[in-house]
Amino acid sequence: MGVLELRDLCIEYSLGNGAALAVDKVSLAIGEGEYLGLVGESGCGKSTIAKAILGILPRNGRVVSGEILYRGRDIVGLSVAEMNRLRWQAIALIPQSAMNGFDPVYTVEQQIAEAIDAHVDWPVARKRERIDEMFALVGLERSRLTDYPHQFSGGMRQRAMIAMAMVLDPDVVVADEPTTGLDVIVQDQILHRIKQIHTSLKKTMLLITHDMAVVAENCDRIAVMYAGKLVEHGAHDVFERPFHPYTMGLCNAFPDLADVGRALVSIPMAPPPLDAMPPGCRFAERCPFATDLCRSEEPELSSVGEGHAAACHYIARAEEFRERARLYETWQAGAVAT
Amino acid sequence: MNNLRLYLLRRLALLLFVTAAVLTILFVMFKLLPGNPLSVFIDSNFSEEMIRRQKQLWGLDDPLWLQYVRYMWNMLTFNFGTSFFQMTPVRDIVVEKLLHTGAMIVPAVVLSVVLGTLLGSWLGWRRGSRQEGAVVIGLLALRSVPSFFVGIIVLMVFSYNLGWFPPGGMVSIGGHGDSFLGTILSLDFLYHLVLPCLVLMTREITSPALLLRSTMLEVKGSDFLDILRAKGLPERRIVMHATRNALLPLVTDVAVMMGFLFQGQVLLEIIFAWPGVGRELVTALNDLDYPVAQACFFVMALIILMFNFVADVLYAFIDPRVALS
Amino acid sequence: MTPAHTVAERGGTGRRGVLGTIGHTLRVIMRYPTGAFGLFLLALVVIVALIGPLISPYGPFDVVQTAQGRIARLVPPSSVALLGTTNQGNDVLSQLLYGTRVALMVGVISAIGSVVLGTLIGLVSGYFGGKVDEAIMRFTDVAFGIPFLPFALIVISVAGPSLPLVILLVTLFLWRTTSRVIRAQVLTLKTRPFVWAARAAGASEWRILFVHIAPNVLPLSFLYMAIGVQGGVMLEAALSFLGFGDPNVVSWGSMLNQSFRAGAMRSAWWWVIPPGVALSLFVISVFMVTRAYEELLNPRLRET
Repeated sequence: MGVLELRDLCIEYSLGNGAALAVDKVSLAIGEGEYLGLVGESGCGKSTIAKAILGILPRNGRVVSGEILYRGRDIVGLSVAEMNRLRWQAIALIPQSAMNGFDPVYTVEQQIAEAIDAHVDWPVARKRERIDEMFALVGLERSRLTDYPHQFSGGMRQRAMIAMAMVLDPDVVVADEPTTGLDVIVQDQILHRIKQIHTSLKKTMLLITHDMAVVAENCDRIAVMYAGKLVEHGAHDVFERPFHPYTMGLCNAFPDLADVGRALVSIPMAPPPLDAMPPGCRFAERCPFATDLCRSEEPELSSVGEGHAAACHYIARAEEFRERARLYETWQAGAVAT
Repeated sequence: MNNLRLYLLRRLALLLFVTAAVLTILFVMFKLLPGNPLSVFIDSNFSEEMIRRQKQLWGLDDPLWLQYVRYMWNMLTFNFGTSFFQMTPVRDIVVEKLLHTGAMIVPAVVLSVVLGTLLGSWLGWRRGSRQEGAVVIGLLALRSVPSFFVGIIVLMVFSYNLGWFPPGGMVSIGGHGDSFLGTILSLDFLYHLVLPCLVLMTREITSPALLLRSTMLEVKGSDFLDILRAKGLPERRIVMHATRNALLPLVTDVAVMMGFLFQGQVLLEIIFAWPGVGRELVTALNDLDYPVAQACFFVMALIILMFNFVADVLYAFIDPRVALS
Repeated sequence: MTPAHTVAERGGTGRRGVLGTIGHTLRVIMRYPTGAFGLFLLALVVIVALIGPLISPYGPFDVVQTAQGRIARLVPPSSVALLGTTNQGNDVLSQLLYGTRVALMVGVISAIGSVVLGTLIGLVSGYFGGKVDEAIMRFTDVAFGIPFLPFALIVISVAGPSLPLVILLVTLFLWRTTSRVIRAQVLTLKTRPFVWAARAAGASEWRILFVHIAPNVLPLSFLYMAIGVQGGVMLEAALSFLGFGDPNVVSWGSMLNQSFRAGAMRSAWWWVIPPGVALSLFVISVFMVTRAYEELLNPRLRET
């Protein structure tokens, strides 16, 4: 059994005129010490999952059905007090926007200490020591502890965020797009730092990102989401032998060193709006291989290998699709047709 | 920390510079403008000799620079001389009138800020609703209605017509308390305070309300609140974080408002016959009592400058981003 | 030549021409209910200001007489005097109509004066920066340190009350905010590419400032001019109410002053209410138009 497990999780946002199902029956499990990457385009529901795990969905969002199991215990619908006991100690968050993740009017140290104080009763000296240790872990100078967030660069702020996330030695760490808004070199450093923490401290981790390359480089397992649905998940062969055309498209979006001459292919068009889902496969509209079946009937996740599953009607033709998906023309034709 | 000190020093230097400049303008104004300040009490009965003695007495024979230096020194040491008509030091008069003005402004500002803050948070909360829109338009319109006309209407209705409140003054005639503190703690004073305070509030409540509405919206949307929740902080800690951030701009606003009101309430003091510094200035000008007028003007200017200074300093302390940028 | 072209297109007034821009702006303001209402009221005020003396039954200082030939003092509204009379026997309605012209004149002249002054100062200060900017900003700080009402009262009491002096004082009060706002706007504008393009094309500094930057701050200047009209009318009324207005001119403020001093609050509501209501309506109408225009300039306002 996984440390963290989602079972048929459905999350809905109520909008002014109706509701949108942002996460639709997603089931996922993260095993002890595993590093899972959750990938998808923005708006596919992956950040909503992170928020649901920590119980910080915005006011208009709620889990309508399904379970979030932490070590076998459903944490959906826990009282605030019960949830607060789990937060940060059991499950910590490295947020999307470290830029605004700190309260601007308190020092970084005060805010880290605040996280400690909310959960454990440590003497001042022990707190100091622990915070120092965390700063060393993420490679920040301890003299910067008394600085205010705005005195930090973006990368430093994100490292301080990591230090804050690790301060209570949490069981699970959720990193929600931890490198948004940072420049490429800093992105690399931050991801490297997180990976290091994962390997050295044997942490169970969930990395949420839109970047396939990041997952390929860092994670043990991968889950791909599209328009609120899980479309494929598995270990490394998801990259090597993707079965869902969407995954194939995503894999195309990052440069392949072995195949320098090939043009970068991206998937044309945008995902369907959450409150107007098509009846069949949600990817059908953008899929170059879609048929009438795809447009009318929704495919179920089915096993395609050891711990590898994909939700496509044509997993049998995956080999052929993979070949065609590598070609630029394939995706262009799809765009023109619709 | 060094940055903060530097900022404070710069701000202090600016305060001194502006104060000196305002004083100089006041000096030049009285020197350049036509009219001899002594003409008020010098009339045709005065002999040449008497006029010269008077001029000497008031220092008007000295070279201009000496007059200037002496004037600056006197003003900065709050040595305003003696009133032409009331045989008391101007300083005593001005201090008393300032206290009276404060007795009207401070309660009005405190109430406005408390109620305005509550109203503003409510507006931020109900954002986008029909009531919210109506209240905001109402507040904006209220802000543009001349408050002295509101004062006149209020006085007509509640005092002359309904007879609920006294038609003006700070205490009943003959009802002077023995001390300022004794006076402002008396029921009689509160009774007189109600109407002017209400009128001031109709205007002053608008700015904290509108300000808090927009900052509340801004703070509510900030990411750090999510992080605080994720950290497992108790609700009251999160509210504390949000409030402290939302109140930041209010601090400046209140200080500037206080400073401004010390000169802006002249009209209300006239309407409500409130013996404050603004009414004293008008009286002094009508009587051509220049030492008093000069002192009133100077203290009003000084109060505005002080409150602006306090606003900036406070802001630098509560918002660490200010001093550093 | 190409850069100049780009700038003209970026300019707030664009290619529509001045009249076209004004027409367009008015049409947009009309789309807001409050804006339309404000414009309607404002048009009424302007018409009254223009033709007031023609339609007013008496002169502002004419003494109305009763049928018996006595001076009609403090007569309530009647067929002789639609809004009643003052304690001097003057017709309140006539004074109100004449006062409209004064209010509009003070408001408009001081608003234009202050905006021209404030815009020029803001442009120069923001564009040239450095020592010039520093000096101007300190000067502005001093101006902000002067309490307006007491200052105006002292100047008027020493120099003697007159309408031009009131207008001058109001102008001196209003330019400060405009110049700060314009300066801030210029600071952001001068880093825009079209300024570099103009410079590269060999335009002189003054040409860049007035041909390329100034048109872009004009909409903001107009906004502050509208706000200035509001402030000007209010300040004139305040000074007149305190008895520091021009004694030879009837304004709403001086009417309120006279009625207040005569104790009309107690006995003659018709002498108190009309000038106060006229003043409030005028100020609110300007405010409503300003608000609509502001939203037009800055659509984000609607959101916050």
